[in-house]
Amino acid sequence: MGTTTKTVPPVTLTQRHLLGIEGMPVTEIEALLARSHFFASVIDGSIPDSDIPQSLAGKTVVNLFFENSTRTRVSFEVAAKKLGGSVLNIAVSGSSVKKGETLIDTATTLNAMHPDILVIRHHAAGAPLLLSRHVDAAVINAGDGRHEHPTQALLDALTISRKFGRIAGLKIAICGDIANSRVARSNLYLLGTLGAELRLVSPATLLPADIDQFGVPVFTDLESGIADCDIVMMLRLQTERMQGREIPSQHEYFNMFGLDEAKLMRAAPQALIMHPGPMNRGVEIDSVIADDIDRSLITTQVEMGVAARMACLEALIVGASI
Amino acid sequence: MRRLFHKARLICPAQALDSKGWLVIDDDLIAETGSGTPTDALLASADEVIDCTGLILGPGLVDMRAETRDPGAEHLETLDTLLAAAAAGGITSLAIQPQTDPVIDNAALIDSLQLRASRRQGPHLYCHGAMSRNLDGTQMAELGMMAASGAVGFSNGHSSIQDTQTMRRILTYAAMLDKPVMHHCEDISLSDGSDMNEGATSTRLGLIGSPIEAETIILERDLQLVRLTGARYHAAHLTTATSVEAVRRAKNEGLPVTADTSAPYFQLNELAVSTYSSAAKLNPPLRTEDDRQAIMAALADGTIDVIASDHVPVNPDMKHLPFSLASCGASGLEVMLVMTLRLVLNDVISWQRAFELLSLAPATILDIPGGSLVVGTEADIVLIDPRTSWIVTGRDFNSLSRITPFEGQPVEGRAVRTIVGGADIFIR
Repeated sequence: MGTTTKTVPPVTLTQRHLLGIEGMPVTEIEALLARSHFFASVIDGSIPDSDIPQSLAGKTVVNLFFENSTRTRVSFEVAAKKLGGSVLNIAVSGSSVKKGETLIDTATTLNAMHPDILVIRHHAAGAPLLLSRHVDAAVINAGDGRHEHPTQALLDALTISRKFGRIAGLKIAICGDIANSRVARSNLYLLGTLGAELRLVSPATLLPADIDQFGVPVFTDLESGIADCDIVMMLRLQTERMQGREIPSQHEYFNMFGLDEAKLMRAAPQALIMHPGPMNRGVEIDSVIADDIDRSLITTQVEMGVAARMACLEALIVGASI
Repeated sequence: MRRLFHKARLICPAQALDSKGWLVIDDDLIAETGSGTPTDALLASADEVIDCTGLILGPGLVDMRAETRDPGAEHLETLDTLLAAAAAGGITSLAIQPQTDPVIDNAALIDSLQLRASRRQGPHLYCHGAMSRNLDGTQMAELGMMAASGAVGFSNGHSSIQDTQTMRRILTYAAMLDKPVMHHCEDISLSDGSDMNEGATSTRLGLIGSPIEAETIILERDLQLVRLTGARYHAAHLTTATSVEAVRRAKNEGLPVTADTSAPYFQLNELAVSTYSSAAKLNPPLRTEDDRQAIMAALADGTIDVIASDHVPVNPDMKHLPFSLASCGASGLEVMLVMTLRLVLNDVISWQRAFELLSLAPATILDIPGGSLVVGTEADIVLIDPRTSWIVTGRDFNSLSRITPFEGQPVEGRAVRTIVGGADIFIR
């Protein structure tokens, strides 16, 4: 694998920013995945660290997180540092944003310091797009409200394709709080584009409007939804984005939509479990399954996150120098 | 002072008039009109003769729903900028909403605003009194005293009355005063937290949608209350095909119901927000293309009576934000006419129908002067050049509110002269 992966070139994208998967050409998705595979080989030790191109040397990545996050922020930080970049973390809770500064003012101020890449997470859908219109840096969307989380979808695809060697034709169920999930939207576009047989499973009150127009079968029953699936991707119940009337109780939710061993029996015999984290144990997923090292890809997803983000950071820096 | 306007195309739906002709203003009144060419004697009798070749001459526009921010937030819109913007939009009378600070929920504020407007030469200013005190939706405001001070009707701005009994009492009381009640229909428990229309587009954008039922549930409830109370009811800014159908049914039944819409709802659909463009974030939200088509059809067939400006003062501080944090609303006074003209140019409606929607019908509903070119009435007139091309540019607006979802659109036709009481209040 070593010699072939080494030949995978850095990717360049047609867009200057990485704001979402929707509309991204399949060739670019495939190229990013191929490059992610190369970085994953570095992370798992099959390629020496010394072979990592220092494509971010002398470059500054700013993590601008308006929502709390540990895994995504640290993942971007590790990815940037492995590529030789320097990273600034701006914790919004202690910044001028708390004093009422608008996103555009923050953007203008940061822009004056000439960062090369801005990684933004924001509770409002579309905030990364707005930011991208006011800065010279390349912008990466690290999650915007209920809209998109493109690097999560890439790392999920990377995780799947390393495990199964392919994505096309796999039966993948995305289950849980679809309405409030940016991960679901990005994965819908990305895994769908790559030919996976997707299905969505959710209580009817947590399905977004007109989801039937998105060309994917929708189930309101977990057991039939995951029947024969190769992968069961559970989503976090986004209680912080819920308006209080969606489900009767977490007790009932776990009972009907939580993944446990009994329900998992309906999936394909070797079915694997994914979850973007952080998990609500005992709400959408039973700990026994989440911690089953033979079936759970949850830790692998975190590992692959670094590789996928290295590919994305590199692509935007390489693209900017052309 | 006797002024003769000739070689114009005169349009007056009140007289079913659409012909080449002339019109004489004597001081503040329309003195004479006629078709064809004025006689030499008539020409000689005028102090001023104005050649209107290529122009449309019609009754000045009557905007029955615009918001000001004076008093309370004059940085967004003052009475002066509001009236100047209206004049530039061909408007000779406008009725403002009670959403000021303090709210127009008492006779004194109506007196004050009308006095201030009368001190400047501009469009006639009328007020809708608040239906409830401070627009709180529970305690009926002093409707009778406001009516006595000249309130043309009652409205609760964008705060839809949720409590059915309160709505019933207000309708009953307004019927006693013989004043129309203009209501913004929104079930706020359904629209809570929403940013746009609910559907595939809101799902794609990850925004919270408001279903059309948020509008139609309150509208249908109100129509039943109209049957109960006999009040004159005006449904503000219809946006959905279902609402149009409800109003059509009520009208067929003979209920005293009228309705309006505004330019965004017949010129745009929800895709205008598909790149998170906050200029097109409105309340009610832009709907689907099917809804837009239904609104256009209703404008043509008479189900919708009026086009209003729906002018809501907003500034960049309220709009240059992530979509869900941005305020609703857009500047409307200076685009209402041209967006209606687009319907005429596209043969959706006739010129006479355009003036009915923009002038005659609102004047009739509010029971105020204007809306026609009838001899002996006050000379409130607009001259329109239907062929001039321009590009909608918010920063050129007279209004302090310069954000419009039509920014950058090429358009055809605009008001070139606005006359109130025989005097020019605007000349382009």
